[in-house]
Amino acid sequence: MKKLFCLFGLLMVAMVASAQQLPDVKVENAQGKIVPVKSIAKGKPMIISYWSIACKPCIQELNAINDALEEWREEADFEVVAVSVDDARLKASAKAIATSRGWEFVCLYDDKQTLKRAMNVSLTPQSFVVDANGKIVFSHSGYTPGSEQLLFDQILKLKK
Amino acid sequence: MKHLALFIAGLFVVGVASAQTQFGGGQISGSLETNSIYYVNDSKIGESPEDRFGSNNYLKLDYSNGRFSAGVQTNAFLPVLQGYEDLASGHKFYLSSKYVQWQDENFELYVGDIFDQLGNGLVFRSFEDRQLGLNNSLEGIRGVYNFGNYVSLKGMYGRPRLYTDYADSWVRAADLSVSLADIIGMESALLSLEGSYVNRYQSLSLDPMMDFSQVGLTSPNMDMYSGRVNFGWNGLSLRGEYVSKGKDLAAAAQQAERGSAILGEVGYNYGNFTFMGTYRQLDNMATRLSLYDAGVGNTLNYLPALTRQYTYMLANLNPYQVNTEGEMGGQVDLCYSLRNEDDRYRYWNFHVNYSLFYTLRKSQSVTGNHERLWQDFNFDIERQWAKKLKTIFLYSFQEWNPTHGYKHRTYVSNVFVGDVTYKFDRKKSLRVEAQYLWSHEYERDWVAGLAEFSFAPHWSVFFSDMYNNGTTKKNYYSGGFSYTQNRTRVQLSYGRNRAGYICSGGVCRFSPAYTGLNLVLTSSF
Repeated sequence: MKKLFCLFGLLMVAMVASAQQLPDVKVENAQGKIVPVKSIAKGKPMIISYWSIACKPCIQELNAINDALEEWREEADFEVVAVSVDDARLKASAKAIATSRGWEFVCLYDDKQTLKRAMNVSLTPQSFVVDANGKIVFSHSGYTPGSEQLLFDQILKLKK
Repeated sequence: MKHLALFIAGLFVVGVASAQTQFGGGQISGSLETNSIYYVNDSKIGESPEDRFGSNNYLKLDYSNGRFSAGVQTNAFLPVLQGYEDLASGHKFYLSSKYVQWQDENFELYVGDIFDQLGNGLVFRSFEDRQLGLNNSLEGIRGVYNFGNYVSLKGMYGRPRLYTDYADSWVRAADLSVSLADIIGMESALLSLEGSYVNRYQSLSLDPMMDFSQVGLTSPNMDMYSGRVNFGWNGLSLRGEYVSKGKDLAAAAQQAERGSAILGEVGYNYGNFTFMGTYRQLDNMATRLSLYDAGVGNTLNYLPALTRQYTYMLANLNPYQVNTEGEMGGQVDLCYSLRNEDDRYRYWNFHVNYSLFYTLRKSQSVTGNHERLWQDFNFDIERQWAKKLKTIFLYSFQEWNPTHGYKHRTYVSNVFVGDVTYKFDRKKSLRVEAQYLWSHEYERDWVAGLAEFSFAPHWSVFFSDMYNNGTTKKNYYSGGFSYTQNRTRVQLSYGRNRAGYICSGGVCRFSPAYTGLNLVLTSSF
């Protein structure tokens, strides 16, 4: 019982959230070039979504964002960045999926998981909303159909 | 209990700190993960562990201020969950990593526990996998220098972590990358030449009971060299790597051997069509951090199975295990998406994958032939019918060799999966999976199902069952719910679990076999 109480304590602590800046690390882009993450931000808000080939809800989330993207972009100018954390085993398959699905995203390949560690991503899917100055203003773990709307709501808040 | 109290106290300090985003002009960020299981007796899969409770906890903290950053990670096993290597002693509380780093656009200096990879990882990869209890980071120093986009030079030196301790070896590595495309001004293309050198030094006289000269190992130094080329232009991509490895003793080997590896990859993309093909050849490439130890975590390089990784229970029952003594093979992926230009909610996604591996040398088998280690032909068809309804059908033909090529005998299974997602409205949805594995061999037929109801964005409830209709007649059931609040996610489930990837409630995890109550909490700040 004591242990359960302690775990509840952990939950309370974890609920304390704060904002952070996009980390200053480099990652591979769709062309295979190593680029600074900060160079992806071009003065626009961004949705950054972490995914992997073995994470079904991640791909569900990215598909859902892509489906809604045309409607969303009528209301706000923003970028979507899909970060694959697949390592050497699945990186080629991740590239095959990303290029064929018609995703209108910036695709990054974090096979060394440098960016994942820097942004403290424990599990996928995890998505972030970053404002035009590179400040992380929102994050969400997991995916349930419909929760992609949370991300767009944050993008709309940034317009105000 | 004392350690648990300390850990909790540390967390409260973190809680206070995390509320103060700006700290001395910099910022603090971090993450917390706790995975706790209460084990119950289950005669179907054996007795529960002596200690009914297991809890693995990880707290990571980072501080950054301009070009400077630093961080620590503490692990608390209170006691460790069952199935983790080298942690059978139970309770453990320790600092698993720490670092300080300074970097600008062209220069980086890093002191601490290094997580890095050279090339495709064939010669060096240090990483953490919490589900497997693996952390082979290098405690030492790393320097990186970039001359614009033209040349990148990296060097590192340190001692590798071996589970909760350190190996009695030292590793030094260097890596050079030259971008010819940037040098000659080809902005739209990628053309780079790369090379790596890795050395492991370990004294051969640490244990008087072990005489390495008897198995042909006389030098404490083991060297690996890697040469790579990368090319990309207009939808076409080519990658190649060759590795030469000096004499080394693999864990299961009777004699020290030289090693080598070849990796080739070709990719082509045109519109919504993509082709990817990978070939890999491994010859005595298993490389340990320490010659005096064994285990999954005792590995300096990364030699993953180049096969499809499934998210469906039955397709993952008998995954391919790499034969590091010697294998040759590869996989191809073909993807095509047929999309309705007038309606983004209506499309077809097609994916075909084929992987095939054989033993490298005829001498690896008693038959005197190259034996088939693995074969998997699979395809899936995903159809988004409308905004509310999506279906997926998957078929996989898998053939695997239970003796890793030593004998000719292989087992064959056919896996069929149907997956339907229906959205009732913007928040409520139901996903149902039906799976069947048809086989005349090993455990014969299996059947499985999963139902998951989600109420976005917070709640998800699920139930799954997997039943062997062949020889064992065992069923593996699981039910639970998850709650997500922004960066924090809690999942509580109860069930009998087989080892493997389980995806539900929006997250995929590797789960060891157990029966019990599982609480998982993750958060970042």
